[in-house]
Amino acid sequence: MNDNRYYIISGKIYGKRLDSRILEEQIQKAVADGHRYLEIKAFGQHGIGGRLWKAGDDKVHIKIIGHPGQRVGSLGFPNTFIEIMGPASDDVGWLNAGARIVVHGNASNGIANGMAQGKIYIAGNIGSRGMTMTKHNPRFDPPELWVLGSAGDYFGEFMAGGIAVICGFEAQSPDNILGFRPFVGMVSGKAFFRGSHKGFSQPDAKIVPITDEDWDWLTKNLKIFLKNIGRPELFKTLSDKNEWQLLTARTPQERTGRQLRSMESFHEKIWNKELGRGGIFGDLTDLDRSPIPLITTDKLRRFVPLWENRKYAAPCEASCPTGIPVRDRWRLIREGRIDEAVDMALAYTPFPASVCGYLCPNLCMQSCTRQSADMVPIDVKKLGKASINASLPELPPLSGNKIAVIGGGTAGISVAWQLRQHGHEVTVYDMSKTLGGKISSVIPDSRIPEEVITKELERIQKIIPHIHLQQRLELKEIEQLREDFDLLVIAIGAQKPRVIPIPGKELMITALDFLIQAKTDKAKPGKRMVIIGAGNVGCDVASEAYRLGAEHITLIDVQEPASFGEERKNAEAIGAKFRWPCFTKEITKKGVKLMTGEVIPADTVIISIGDAPDLEFLPENVATKHGFIVVNDYYQTTDPKIFAIGDAVKPGLLTDAIGSGRKAGKAIINILKGKKPLDDTREMIHRERITLEYFDPRITGFDDIEQCSSQCSSCGTCRDCGICIAVCPQTAISRKEIKNNDFEMIVDETRCIGCGFCAEACPCGIWNIIENKPVE
Amino acid sequence: MSSNRPITPSTLSVKDLPWQIIWDKDKCTLCGKCTAVCPVNAIELGVFRKRSIETSMGLESTPSNDFKIYYGIRQKTDPAYSCVGCAMCNLVCPNDAIIPAKSDEADKLRYHINQGGQPRRRGGRRGTPDSLLDMIKFIRISMLTDPALDAGRHEFELTTLLGRILSPEENLSFLNENGWIPPVREIYPLMIGGMSFGALSPNMWEGLQLGVSYLNEELSMPVRICTGEGGCPPRLLRSRFLKYVILQIASGYFGWDEIIHDIPDMKEDPCAIEIKYGQGAKPGDGGLLMWYKVNKLIAAIRGVPTGVNLPSPPTHQTQYSIEESVAKMIQSMSMAWGFRVPVYPKISATSTALAVLNNLTRNPYAAGLAIDGEDGGTGAAYNVSMNHMGHPIAGNIRDAYLNLVKTGMQNEIPLIAGGGIGKNGNLAANAAALIMLGASCVQIGKYIMQAAAGCLGSETDRCNICNIGLCPKGITSQDPRLYRRLDVDKVAQRVVDVFLSFDTELKKIVAPLGRSTSLPIGMSDALGINDYNAANRLGIKYVV
Repeated sequence: MNDNRYYIISGKIYGKRLDSRILEEQIQKAVADGHRYLEIKAFGQHGIGGRLWKAGDDKVHIKIIGHPGQRVGSLGFPNTFIEIMGPASDDVGWLNAGARIVVHGNASNGIANGMAQGKIYIAGNIGSRGMTMTKHNPRFDPPELWVLGSAGDYFGEFMAGGIAVICGFEAQSPDNILGFRPFVGMVSGKAFFRGSHKGFSQPDAKIVPITDEDWDWLTKNLKIFLKNIGRPELFKTLSDKNEWQLLTARTPQERTGRQLRSMESFHEKIWNKELGRGGIFGDLTDLDRSPIPLITTDKLRRFVPLWENRKYAAPCEASCPTGIPVRDRWRLIREGRIDEAVDMALAYTPFPASVCGYLCPNLCMQSCTRQSADMVPIDVKKLGKASINASLPELPPLSGNKIAVIGGGTAGISVAWQLRQHGHEVTVYDMSKTLGGKISSVIPDSRIPEEVITKELERIQKIIPHIHLQQRLELKEIEQLREDFDLLVIAIGAQKPRVIPIPGKELMITALDFLIQAKTDKAKPGKRMVIIGAGNVGCDVASEAYRLGAEHITLIDVQEPASFGEERKNAEAIGAKFRWPCFTKEITKKGVKLMTGEVIPADTVIISIGDAPDLEFLPENVATKHGFIVVNDYYQTTDPKIFAIGDAVKPGLLTDAIGSGRKAGKAIINILKGKKPLDDTREMIHRERITLEYFDPRITGFDDIEQCSSQCSSCGTCRDCGICIAVCPQTAISRKEIKNNDFEMIVDETRCIGCGFCAEACPCGIWNIIENKPVE
Repeated sequence: MSSNRPITPSTLSVKDLPWQIIWDKDKCTLCGKCTAVCPVNAIELGVFRKRSIETSMGLESTPSNDFKIYYGIRQKTDPAYSCVGCAMCNLVCPNDAIIPAKSDEADKLRYHINQGGQPRRRGGRRGTPDSLLDMIKFIRISMLTDPALDAGRHEFELTTLLGRILSPEENLSFLNENGWIPPVREIYPLMIGGMSFGALSPNMWEGLQLGVSYLNEELSMPVRICTGEGGCPPRLLRSRFLKYVILQIASGYFGWDEIIHDIPDMKEDPCAIEIKYGQGAKPGDGGLLMWYKVNKLIAAIRGVPTGVNLPSPPTHQTQYSIEESVAKMIQSMSMAWGFRVPVYPKISATSTALAVLNNLTRNPYAAGLAIDGEDGGTGAAYNVSMNHMGHPIAGNIRDAYLNLVKTGMQNEIPLIAGGGIGKNGNLAANAAALIMLGASCVQIGKYIMQAAAGCLGSETDRCNICNIGLCPKGITSQDPRLYRRLDVDKVAQRVVDVFLSFDTELKKIVAPLGRSTSLPIGMSDALGINDYNAANRLGIKYVV
């Protein structure tokens, strides 16, 4: 180096290497002293050539010969030009802030690490992690790193700006001039390179076309680079545009993660290709398994509404032994068809006024759904009373079937009534002059106006032929009747009063006898009466005895009296005393002597502990048990030709007798038609299905049958109120007229989502929501 | 409830239930979606009678009553329909008008759930948010003491070995003496644990398998999945994907005849065979797939008729001792694939685990030991088994590892840890803690259900109805109406997401330890915990 412009600083004095700190001090001093050309004989000193701001805007030329240590030109200033005449160690231009640095040889690792401005020209190859963490501050030109050969591994990691140019000339690794895993974490800047590479970080960087502007920049600066490293002759070799590629960082918007195959593509092209169509289960099922939304319709609904109109019996109907569909009558009234509502009863009972309106404890009302919400039940008595004017439809012609009914009481009339209305010829045999049995002979007038019974019996007599027997039927006659008729129905009631075997029992009068006599005012109860057996019949006796002059009436029982309803109320109203438990030891002229020794004084003692049927005439094949006839579910006895109903089967209410007649009649009608005897197998509706919120809970009684009808929730039978149509969020429900003036609610399966709103909103409990059929 | 009905001891109010439905009348549009979606029919349309009393100021006119009807959403109080808190109602509500809220006090339902004398059964997990694994910290941060690694840039080799690992000398002498060396698989240290087809829906099961295959074939991550006990679809058995699958055999032996029939047609050996003796979630409780879940598909794969209950007894029926069970089962299963497939047992974590482990060390065919801790999940178990039976995994795996260290076999028999890994979402941290305590590999179940399929279960007893086939996300249901809510591809994609993010997190943990080329199995000097007793018990540092 004969250039005498240069001020020479040696890193070794008297054979002793200068410490990096001392060399730095000497360089700084030289610059401060005005030297602008420095030649440094380096012996591994650190950081030579950086930080020369003292020269101000003057250019400082640093020529390094020998072996510089790490970080040549680190923290370099724009005024500095550094030329290393041989190879360089690590981190050349570390945190370079503007110096131009030329290395006339290879440079090792970390070249340009953290460089923000300036240029580094390498005349050979570089080691690993070159151009890492470089920056581009917009206030300045971007930093540049030029490498004539190739880059080592991990080139351009976290590169955040600047331009790298790898020329690939006489590269150390010609097949991979960018080294292993270059540009990981690169976020900005670009790199021109010439030659082959073995991949770079795809998520971070991309190859882009070289524009004319790029090419102009490259060729212009390539000349400068080559001139700086003293190889201008290479320009021609290196300036074939086709050999160059340009790589830039992906923008944040382009970083959509790794460029991976989509799962859909993998599924279709790899998975299904290996496994076959339909994937791992494709050979076992052809069920559609494609995605569906959370809310689905039609076959994909989890739940399905069912319009179960008339599927269940209303509680009133179900608990009425006669089985009158009361809510249907209220519906007719709501529809303004009062006459039909009234007439309808006659299809079920011959005594709609007497029984429903007066004598029945109205089990229908007791079971009324409204009771479950503390609301007053619909008052069926009003409707019953109105039925006095019911008229029968025209009777059908006779079918030819003939049925004999033994006994013209409530049950017998009921069965005959049913059979005749269905066209069968019935003949009723009875000991009384007129039909009616207990209903006409023993019910006190206080319970029912006589004209009501009379009117209903007239209606009955019009259609039921009656043979007035003069003596009891004997077995032989029964057997004859059995032959003469297709079927025989025994409805003889319980006429034989039960008595207790105690001393003085002959002094007792049976309740039945008393009531029959009382009915015609012939009974003489005296002032004091004791009634043994405090049931409803006992109560009737009490009321009648009071009417006929008794003043002190006592009803005794062995247990808490079972009497209830009107009968009990009437008895209590006339001051009758109820006593229990009382066990009778003896009847004397003085009265009733109890086991305790107490004597209850009585002028008359009535025994009222129930009646039993007189079954002596029964054929042997008709089985009995505990004094009553044994029957099956539809009142057929053990002789298939003989049916038995009413109190002869089981003591009960008038409505029980009517019901047994109706049900036996229905069974007979079905049997004669060759059908199954029992055709109504409806269960009672669950009361929870009914929604009573629609009704006014403050109603304490009803003014008329119209109001009754409006407050009936019509359990199990559609009121046609349209709530379901309005409530359905999917407008899936619509009303459809069908034949016979009827209608149905239908569901559009393609709209219904199975929310169950219809089922909850329905006042009548018609809609049910059930699980959809399993998908198979 | 009607005020005039008699109450029973089990009549509950909404307040008594674990979840209360908060419904906003103003926001609700009565669209019916919430009641349509509720898996347990806990809500219904309510018809309400609203009374207002009209009284004029100054009492100038006669006061009157006015009733109006309004509709809304009502919560049922019948224990059979009590809200499970899944919040599907909230998910479908267009107006954010409805949401279940956890009761502010312990519910009363728990005292009445055993109607008819049947104790509560459910799916899910133990119901304890505490996690010892979460308390473990990685305290050895090697910035300058070891070469510091960068999780983002360094190449990592985070695989583990499954199989009996012998030293090269031993392997050679083994080969010379026996003409055989134990099969060893190089696999990813996070494995999807056994969840049967049956317990899981077809879409969930296929989604997991698909995701695992993707990880292997597109991302070169050797992730493995265990079938659970319910057989394996024949197509999968005959496919190359079988090598990513660990077939499980358990006490019910379901599906094994189908597997046997397919052995001649297998292109690949399965990764391994897991013999299940116990499950961490319900030790001592067997499995039961209820009849209503046994549809055609399940029946075909399990090799059973449809519509029957499928019990897996708590114990294997013909095995009466460790020696017998382990030796006999490992032999049989190894033999099935010509001793080319690693076979290992899986047990519930237990105070008796060391007895099993010691036995395995003496059995040259044993390929490892999987231990499943008490925090594991299940599709169905008795509440009492889930909540009160079992052993924590950390201490158990630590004891097992240290026991191996004592006998110098810590590198020979891999331990697989499971149960509660990531129970609070800290998957990588929990996995790394177990690995550093001595596990070679960890298994996850619940975590993948939550992350890959959106399982709603929680440690605070939300949802947890996996056992009744009504999973609102379609994960554990066999009803297409429910399981089609799961998109197979999206489940698979989430599996991929989980493993990729796990991989990054695991690197974030091991890189500062200076580890990149081997899993830090048993590297317990990196662990610390701020519980003195736990630190002593586990032999790790007590740090405050």
